[in-house]
Amino acid sequence: MKKKTIGLMALMLSTVVVLSTSCTSNGTGSASSSSAASSSAAASTQAVKLTDSKVELIKATDPGKSPDTANKRTDTFVATIHEPGGVFLPYFYDNGWDGNAVQPIFSSLVTVDDNGNPIPDLAEKWEISPDNLTYTYYLRPNLKFSDGSPLTAEDVAFTLTLLNDPAYAAGNVDFSNIVIKGTDEYKNGNATSISGIKVIDPTTIQITTEKLNPLSLTTLGGSVISKAYYGNGYQKGKLDYLKDLYAKPMGDGPYQLDQYINGQEIRYNANPNYYGGKPSIEHLIFKVTSTSTALQSFQTGQTDLDSFSTDQDTLEQLKALGFANIRIRTIPDFGIIYVNNKKPYLKDTAARQALYYGLDRQKIIDVKYNGYGEVANVFAAPTLWSYTEEGVTKYNYDPDKAKQLLEGLGWKAGSDGILQKDGQKLKLSYLTTKPDDPIIPIAKESYKAIGIDFVPEVLDANTMFDRLNKGDYDLLSVRTNGLIDPNDPVYEFSSTDPNVNPSGYSNPTVTQLIKEGISTSDKTKRQTIYTKLYQELSKDPPVILIDYRKSISAWNDRIIGGENYTTGASDVAIQLTKLKIR
Amino acid sequence: MIPILFGISLLIFFLFALMPGDYFSSNRRLSPQRLEELRALYGMNKPLIVRYFIWLKNVFHGDFGFSLQHMQPVTTLINQYIWNSFIVALATLFFTWTIALVIGIYSATKQYSIFDRLVTLGVFASLSVPSFFIGLLLIKLFGVDLHILPIGGMIDTGSTTTGLAYVLEVLRHMILPITVLTFLSVGSLTRYFRTGMLEVLRMDFIRTARAKGLKERTVIFRHALRNAILPAITLLAFELPGLFSGAIITEQIFSWPGIGRIQLDALSARDYPVLMTLTMLLAFLTILGNFLADVLYAAADPRIRLTKKEGG
Amino acid sequence: MSILKRKASSDRKRSKSIWEQSFRRLFKNRSAVFSACILGFMFLFSFVGPLISPYSSNGIDVTVMKHPPDFTHWLGTDIYGRDVLTRLMLAGRISLTVGLASMVLSLLLGSLLGAVSGYYGGIVDSIIMRIADILMSIPSLPLLIIIAAMLSEFKVPTDYRLYIVMLMLSLVGWPGLARLIRGQILSLREQMYMKAADVLGLGTWRKIFHHLLPNTYPLLIVVATLSTASGILSESTLSFLGLGVVEPTSSWGNMITIANNLIDFQKHPWLWIPPGAAIFITVVAINVLGDAVRDVLDPKMKGR
Repeated sequence: MKKKTIGLMALMLSTVVVLSTSCTSNGTGSASSSSAASSSAAASTQAVKLTDSKVELIKATDPGKSPDTANKRTDTFVATIHEPGGVFLPYFYDNGWDGNAVQPIFSSLVTVDDNGNPIPDLAEKWEISPDNLTYTYYLRPNLKFSDGSPLTAEDVAFTLTLLNDPAYAAGNVDFSNIVIKGTDEYKNGNATSISGIKVIDPTTIQITTEKLNPLSLTTLGGSVISKAYYGNGYQKGKLDYLKDLYAKPMGDGPYQLDQYINGQEIRYNANPNYYGGKPSIEHLIFKVTSTSTALQSFQTGQTDLDSFSTDQDTLEQLKALGFANIRIRTIPDFGIIYVNNKKPYLKDTAARQALYYGLDRQKIIDVKYNGYGEVANVFAAPTLWSYTEEGVTKYNYDPDKAKQLLEGLGWKAGSDGILQKDGQKLKLSYLTTKPDDPIIPIAKESYKAIGIDFVPEVLDANTMFDRLNKGDYDLLSVRTNGLIDPNDPVYEFSSTDPNVNPSGYSNPTVTQLIKEGISTSDKTKRQTIYTKLYQELSKDPPVILIDYRKSISAWNDRIIGGENYTTGASDVAIQLTKLKIR
Repeated sequence: MIPILFGISLLIFFLFALMPGDYFSSNRRLSPQRLEELRALYGMNKPLIVRYFIWLKNVFHGDFGFSLQHMQPVTTLINQYIWNSFIVALATLFFTWTIALVIGIYSATKQYSIFDRLVTLGVFASLSVPSFFIGLLLIKLFGVDLHILPIGGMIDTGSTTTGLAYVLEVLRHMILPITVLTFLSVGSLTRYFRTGMLEVLRMDFIRTARAKGLKERTVIFRHALRNAILPAITLLAFELPGLFSGAIITEQIFSWPGIGRIQLDALSARDYPVLMTLTMLLAFLTILGNFLADVLYAAADPRIRLTKKEGG
Repeated sequence: MSILKRKASSDRKRSKSIWEQSFRRLFKNRSAVFSACILGFMFLFSFVGPLISPYSSNGIDVTVMKHPPDFTHWLGTDIYGRDVLTRLMLAGRISLTVGLASMVLSLLLGSLLGAVSGYYGGIVDSIIMRIADILMSIPSLPLLIIIAAMLSEFKVPTDYRLYIVMLMLSLVGWPGLARLIRGQILSLREQMYMKAADVLGLGTWRKIFHHLLPNTYPLLIVVATLSTASGILSESTLSFLGLGVVEPTSSWGNMITIANNLIDFQKHPWLWIPPGAAIFITVVAINVLGDAVRDVLDPKMKGR
């Protein structure tokens, strides 16, 4: 009996890993990538081209079928969350779900839309200096916190100071790749304030940074916390007093916290002092649901909106409900197999190309997404503005070519059919966290056909990342975080630090292009650079790109505006105010 | 008992430290400098043995640490969730034992009857199917199709009930999780009781009792049951830590806010303060349970002597 | 008193032909013969079956994903379009081996340590029980994660890992059974016939193996059947830590867990019913056989 429990725990362990990776990504909400294909023939015939249509909407056919449980809630909108931790202070939580939970309470200066374009929120406009190092934000006039107190540039300055305090110890904002001027003097010296933060007038703040980073605009322009409420008692190096306020947030977003019922639901009330006016829906609830019963909770009216597993059967069931509006959209991330460029047998470009050609990626996508995914060829998500297939080499499945490339490198088939060189067999270990990873059986089959001994291993997530950081792997499967800027997924390939660049890839042209990519904020210039970079990265591939994926979400037809709302997306606060109940 | 707990704490502390990776290692968004800063802030760069003694010292001062993941004192965190698991586990324990006892005894007295055979088959069917299947099936049946029981959670969405209404609401939400858990554990326990009863019924004193003309009912409940239940004491001791450990799968499927999920998250995130505290709590209960079992054993069967060396 | 007489007097006389007698009686027991046949069939099915099958374990065919059973695929296909029947047979090799081996191993360790502990009592008992306390207190999941990391570090081939892990789980998993057995021995030790055995001056091991352990046999059978079932199922979940079998190798447990959502549960029953049924049949057969063997060996049952 003891053994059985172990096993079940292990099962859940892996589920948790899946969940926690998905919640951190921008805009994915709770979409689960896990179970994949279903009703057979649909695979090839129904394939949706991700790059053509970013969002597909299916209207509710019979809104009258909406369950009474939902209809009774005339002034409440119920969305879902999976594992909130209860720290409701931006920057100080350490659980991605808490990040989702604070979004309705705290607005940002600047936020981004689905394509990664910055849009104004608390700041009505901003300026970036020509050298891309100084940022000036202009706040909307007469901003207020939910308790009625004014929100000024002083609060922004306080927020940024707090985040660069020597005792700030949360892992969710990292300024070491931005570095506000004067941070070091403040953190390690005697300075009483950070010199790079200048309050020009109550609605204007200017921040000078030291490192080029395209994410500076949104990172510096994040949520604002009240100096009057949170700054009372602040001394440099002492942040413990804030712990008492974790559960009692006071912000500037469209909603304010009403009550958190541990592990069950988070309740919010509309904020009358919100700059955009009090939202039309009085109450908001984030309810904790389980992925395995998300559909049933939605069907019975316990929830108004949720994300579901991406497969044909789930879609059919949602359609059959009648009251569900369905949205199928591309998620801004992609799956890759890391290739350890440091290994002698993988350091050649031709070897990595052979791994590309030798892998039947279409088959993986067919099984995994059954029409709701696509083979990835570009180092950007199709939703990103920089995405382009122009001049990009596509490695379609071609085992003969793979064989040729490997033979060109001196590999010869041994008696057992496995390639050999200098008495060494071509054996590649593959690390993944999911035992049902479809890459395992498919890669095993495809690689066997070209003489590679593919050895899959399933590991616990932390163990796997430990191996990745140590460079102790051949191949390793991961999914990127939610991508906001085109620099996000490529940045690592320009670094010589193995902790940043675990693939160990190095290509001077690529490094140069990546540097150029973040040296300007002019989108057209950047587009040219990224087009070139994508071509270069496809010619000399650092890692193997696998897939882009879609997510299915649905909302009860009684909620108007649900198509623009995604729990966890950057613009949640803005979209929440636009929702109405029919 | 105290030295054993010390030994266990040392063992477990080092065992956890052996697990690859730490709390921050899977956070790929952090730069190497920031990682180093964070590890220093949390004292993760100190030698292991120093960390152990810091932990031990704090425990003696009643400080079980601070959860990295939940940003709360561990004791507060555990207190928020453990009782939710406890009430379910306690109810499950009650139902499991009652049902297993009744079925076990009944099928033992009617060995090889149709009833006995059906029960046997049912028990093995329940052993051959993973728990999530049963959970999902019940949700489909009672939650969706019949629409008489809630699908998950502890209260209805947005519910503001208090007092008795609140208690009834929670009870309603407990039915399915308890049913699943009971179904899962009642099978094996039934086997133990049935076997124990069968053994006793074959003993000579039962034959004697029957020969004396005692009623079958008296024979079974007065004489047989008491003896048959002896192994159950050991089994009951095993249940003690189980009352507080939570049921991960079931909690997950029914979105029940219990301690199982907290423990699992802590493990996968390497949130050591939470892990250490929970593990030590369960270790303490395990040892306590075994100790109580020994005491109860001696009380239930006066012939048993635990201490004196016997035989040759 | 009658037990005592029978035990003591018949001991020598029966010892020569006890196995012969028992086998004869076992063959007369229809349910025993039947369940033995079923078990034999499961072994044949698993070890010989795949040789006859036209499909291979990893014959991926995306044109027939999750295809219901028909004449080409008798039990349908899984999400990769692989033949479920073939995978079921191959899975049996792993699951039967693992289930039975882990059962035998933990049974041996648990009953032996439990018996010794209960029989000797005193310091021996204290030591064994304290070790049991410690082992029971160590949470298994972290332990498994460490084992997984180590096996991976030392590049132990993935195919062998499962067996090593099963071995280690038995090594740390004996305390439960040991405590149960010890409890029984504690009270058996005080029974009259043991007093007689003492008087007769029988050796310690003889007393343990011939007079004490046989009386815990019913309990052992329960544990054996339960642990075979849980061994087979837990193997699948071990694979979440990279400790069980890794795809494309199949086991009954991992075949079942693939269908872990309501949709597969309702719409694709051929994914989970066959492995579920295989586990069920195996466990029931072992139990029936175990019960029959018990009845045969039990001298008290002779008259019935």
